[in-house]
Amino acid sequence: MARRAPTDLKGGGISAMTQDAGTPGTGHPHTVAAFDADLKVLGDMVAEMGVRAARALSEATRALTERNIQLAQQVIASDRGLDLMQHEIEERAVTTLARRQPMAVDLREIVSTMRIAGDLERVGDLAKNVAKRVIAIGAQPAPANLAAGLGILSERVGQQLAAVLKAYAERSDAAAMEVWTSDGTIDGLFTSLFRELLTYMMEDPRSIGYCTHLLFCAKNLERAGDHATNIAETAHYVITGEALIAERPKGDTTVGIEPSLRPPQT
Amino acid sequence: MAQTVQTAATAARTRLYSGRRRWNAIMIVLAWCAALFGMAWLALILGALLWQGLSGVSLRVFTEMTPPPGADGGLLNPIIGSLIMTGLAVAIGTPIGILAGTYMAEYGRYGRLSSVVRFINDILLSAPSIVVGLFVYEVLVRPMGHFSGIAGAVALAIIVIPVVVRTTEDMLLLVPNTLREAAAALGLPRAYIVRRIAYRAARAGIVTGILLAIARISGETAPLLFTALNNQFWSTNLNAPMASLPAVIFQFALSPYNDWQRLAWTGALLITVAVLALSIIARALSSPDKS
Amino acid sequence: MNVIAPHAQTAVPAAAKEALDTAKLEPKIAIRQLNFYYGAAHALKDISLTLYRNTVTAFIGPSGCGKSTLLRVLNRMYDLYPNQRAEGEVVFDGANILAPKQDLNLLRARIGMVFQKPTPFPMSIFENIAFGVRLYEKLPASELEYRVEHALRRAALWEEVKDKLNVNGQSLSGGQQQRLCIARTVAVKPEVILLDEPCSALDPISTAKIEELIDELKADYTIVIVTHNMQQAARVSDFTAFMYLGQLVESASTQKIFTSPSDRRTQDYITGRFG
Repeated sequence: MARRAPTDLKGGGISAMTQDAGTPGTGHPHTVAAFDADLKVLGDMVAEMGVRAARALSEATRALTERNIQLAQQVIASDRGLDLMQHEIEERAVTTLARRQPMAVDLREIVSTMRIAGDLERVGDLAKNVAKRVIAIGAQPAPANLAAGLGILSERVGQQLAAVLKAYAERSDAAAMEVWTSDGTIDGLFTSLFRELLTYMMEDPRSIGYCTHLLFCAKNLERAGDHATNIAETAHYVITGEALIAERPKGDTTVGIEPSLRPPQT
Repeated sequence: MAQTVQTAATAARTRLYSGRRRWNAIMIVLAWCAALFGMAWLALILGALLWQGLSGVSLRVFTEMTPPPGADGGLLNPIIGSLIMTGLAVAIGTPIGILAGTYMAEYGRYGRLSSVVRFINDILLSAPSIVVGLFVYEVLVRPMGHFSGIAGAVALAIIVIPVVVRTTEDMLLLVPNTLREAAAALGLPRAYIVRRIAYRAARAGIVTGILLAIARISGETAPLLFTALNNQFWSTNLNAPMASLPAVIFQFALSPYNDWQRLAWTGALLITVAVLALSIIARALSSPDKS
Repeated sequence: MNVIAPHAQTAVPAAAKEALDTAKLEPKIAIRQLNFYYGAAHALKDISLTLYRNTVTAFIGPSGCGKSTLLRVLNRMYDLYPNQRAEGEVVFDGANILAPKQDLNLLRARIGMVFQKPTPFPMSIFENIAFGVRLYEKLPASELEYRVEHALRRAALWEEVKDKLNVNGQSLSGGQQQRLCIARTVAVKPEVILLDEPCSALDPISTAKIEELIDELKADYTIVIVTHNMQQAARVSDFTAFMYLGQLVESASTQKIFTSPSDRRTQDYITGRFG
């Protein structure tokens, strides 16, 4: 468990002897044990939700690369469970706020579970979106390199999600920041996929519809990666009490790609 | 099976409990008897006083002076004498007592002097009054060369002081310190706090103390015997022997004359009624009355 | 073209940086290296703290940490008792109030105190308030009446007692008595008001009224409150100082202390993890 080095987060007039308050969740348990139980339940629910969201994402990608319509339908159906979990987490969090009047790290923790639940629910929605497009594409195979590219992108996003949820559970700021800064690789993967798809579409206009679906799938995966960094920011807030306002390093340069295609002529 | 366990436990409990209830009843009966016993004696004393003394009460008692045996008379001079000496004793003793009590409770509360004074005061409180009388005899009567009313008043004052000191200190200590702190927090100087706040809060208690002191000295005989002696005639001269009710009762009760004895009973009744009245007033003042 | 309001161009809105920027506040009382002893027991250890004008500062901490002791140093209340002494400096308006030559009565006229247990004097309501005023000023009767009414209004008590000003102060309810004590303190026109757990003996509604009162009073007075109720400290104060075993552990704006304190001990205390 990483300890945050004592920084100069001091107001005026503090005595010389300070003890770092950085790592919450360690040290004494609450005097009222039920409070600890409440917090544990919330944490467990968030972990469970994370596992499910990651699984939905990986299964959706698998459905895409294997053209497995059935799997895609399963993914769509299971999204409902994620929505329900998010509502339950929020309800529990609000109840805990009302009953326990939490302060400091406890307050940050409970607020964070609501934020993370929201992010994970969006990840689930993105997976559902991918699955829907799988059904739309039908059983047509994708070119091998595209499939591989999507597979790598999805795997990378899955790794980020797993890493950030682990960082949150262990309250490790270093691991969370690691996730936060390495979103660039996902953006890079997406950019290269984007270029490839553009190339395909330029070569063969009949593939535009198909490629557009794939493009959206790739974008959804990239968005899921962004949600992982959101969760990393939330984890950092819980651990340090500071919000991460700085601009995160972005690798998504697709916005700057010169459109070599002309807009449609009417 | 559970049934029998239940009843066995209940039976044991009932046995224990009935033993305790029996013991409780016995104690209650004993307490009642003791109370009745004490009350009975009080009733008998009051009854005897009323029986013997009431017949002698008439206007003459308050207007005529003590008679020679065989003649008619009253108790005017002892009544006046008692009033003068008691009044003087209170006038001397009360300020001293209140000021001393105030010092011990307010200014010197944590000092050594206060604990020494408190100790001595408690001794004086229960000192035999005859010792007080003898002391004043030595200190005042002998140098003066004659008995006097002032010596009597001084002797009574010495009995008043410990009572007033005690009650003043106790009543002032009862005033919660937070009240004093609140006054101090407003910026009141110490003397103001004592005068305006502490005295005001303890007023009823201190007055009660004074009344009780008066009741106490009304019936003191021994000190007066050695200091004021007694006076058959009318005298309000403090420099001369002065009559007092207790002394007159003493003298008349031991005499073989019937009319003197009757007057003695009447005097005793008067003292009792006065003390009773003072005690009742004191009780009425000290009962909690918030509004 | 969009017209952007000037303050929106800064990275963080000005309101968020807010009036709790201590550089903009005026120090009212500066405590420097304060040590306090009950006989041989060292009760306060090297306390240094600044209290700012027209703010509410709360002292929090577990029982026996010295917060009430610290409060009572500010108006030299410990002077009433032998064996209690203070060393160090407490600077109030340029003068060290711990100096022996400090006039205590004048000091207490400028720094008033309200105690945990409501202590109305054994007099009528009117007298309770007029008492302190008369101590310092000779006012004609009409002005005195006005002062009493003003103080009672300030303490949100006027409406409830205006018809019974001659009633004994001790016959009021607990909450009313405490507000009477606050009115009494305010009537003397102090500059600083010290509150020692003022609501701990009161019911929630009276407590809420007094908290509202504190909020209104801070516009004109500097307020220091000792409380063992952390939620109250969070609601009421602008600055919070956490004390433990006679030391000042952490002192910062209330917003910071209750959302992300720097010291582990502070966090343990306010989250209910103290063993």
